[in-house]
Amino acid sequence: MKYLFMILLFCLCVFVGYYYSSKFSKRKKFYSSLISFADKLALEINFSRERLKVLTENFDASTRKNLLGIDEGFVEYLDKKGELTTENIFKKAQILTKEEKENVLLFLKILGRSDVENQTKEIKNFVSRFEETRQKCNQDQKKYGSLALKLGIIAGLFCVIILI
Amino acid sequence: MLEKILPEKLYKILAEKINFKAVNEIRLRADKPIILNVNGKICFVNENGATTKLDNALYSSKIMIEDVIFRASECSIYSVNEQIKRGFIVTDEAVRIGIGGNLIEENGQIKTMTNFCSCNIRIPHIIKNCSLNAYPFLVKDDKVENTLIVSPPGAGKTTFLRDFVYQLSLRELKYNVLLLDERGELDSGINSLYTDKISFSSKKVGFENGIRSLAPDIIVTDELGQEEDVEAIRYANGCGVKILASTHCDNIETFAKKPLFQQILKEKVFKKFVFLSKRNGPGTFEGVYDENFSRVYR
Repeated sequence: MKYLFMILLFCLCVFVGYYYSSKFSKRKKFYSSLISFADKLALEINFSRERLKVLTENFDASTRKNLLGIDEGFVEYLDKKGELTTENIFKKAQILTKEEKENVLLFLKILGRSDVENQTKEIKNFVSRFEETRQKCNQDQKKYGSLALKLGIIAGLFCVIILI
Repeated sequence: MLEKILPEKLYKILAEKINFKAVNEIRLRADKPIILNVNGKICFVNENGATTKLDNALYSSKIMIEDVIFRASECSIYSVNEQIKRGFIVTDEAVRIGIGGNLIEENGQIKTMTNFCSCNIRIPHIIKNCSLNAYPFLVKDDKVENTLIVSPPGAGKTTFLRDFVYQLSLRELKYNVLLLDERGELDSGINSLYTDKISFSSKKVGFENGIRSLAPDIIVTDELGQEEDVEAIRYANGCGVKILASTHCDNIETFAKKPLFQQILKEKVFKKFVFLSKRNGPGTFEGVYDENFSRVYR
């Protein structure tokens, strides 16, 4: 029984470490996907001039899942089924900071509001901002992501040793 | 469609308190009261519906107008910029929204319009059989005569043209009809097996391309207003294509003196003229005139 408890405790600590570590990787993936999304929009707006809803819905599904549901909230807004607010858009994206959420919201707010030339400029401007954040997320993941996982394992081992 | 375009509160009032079918126009101007044209009569809107009194009238704001235009473009202004440059947007359901704002010009060319401050939402109506009064004079022995519909703005020219095309298809005349739809609002509700459409092109390009590629028997087009439109009509007439068109003018006498049309009037390109007015509401049928402007009906 004691050994089973020790194994469970160890697993729990590793899981907590993994959970915190994955937050950093999710943030990095989110920004990579957001940049791909913005690039795709800029490209399509210039060439096909397709409507935003179609462009958002047709965005590559595997990349889209990393957007943490902001695309779904955005489509709801385009359908006039929801407001473009932090609460509606970031329901599943709690890993972003308040400032980051405001920045992404600002990006969504400018979409579809101007002609091709201005829209492309605005999107590129946001892409460079997102790129900076992505690099920061990348550094954070390298620094704290692996640290969180290691700390989880160490904490698990520490608990096991104390129990022994 | 209007549900998606209009602010929720305004839509609710229009849907619940005012007969939507009677609304011809909704005018929004920044910081001014919302104005409706209901059956040709101008009124304001308040919480209880249409009113002639300004007290408690609902006002529109600049944000509201921008949002209406944004929604009308299906949240993609860039995709309708060519229309915006010409001062309007037409939705998929042929709701035409005229826009006022700042035109941005560069090197003498219009780039776009920004800072939207007013819009005029024109709601299309299908009024079945509204062309029936004139129909027997425009179609003789199943042959359509070149006809020009003359009326002031908002008096039902487009509605008349739509119904006329519908009447042709109803009688199974099997003419290939080309709708040259410069503003994308002509074909709303026309359910004809023999109709082709060219949208958002100038009359000159549309007539030339349409005649070459689609070989129509009849071309239907709206709002002749420029020299090149008249030239396009002469070109089509020379090709043996029948024409049904419309133009703005507030009475038939003034129209007969319009310099733009003098040449084709002299050439008697149009055999019939139908005059519509707003005297008893939009679409009031005033009469049919022949090529010498003699009244043949009414």
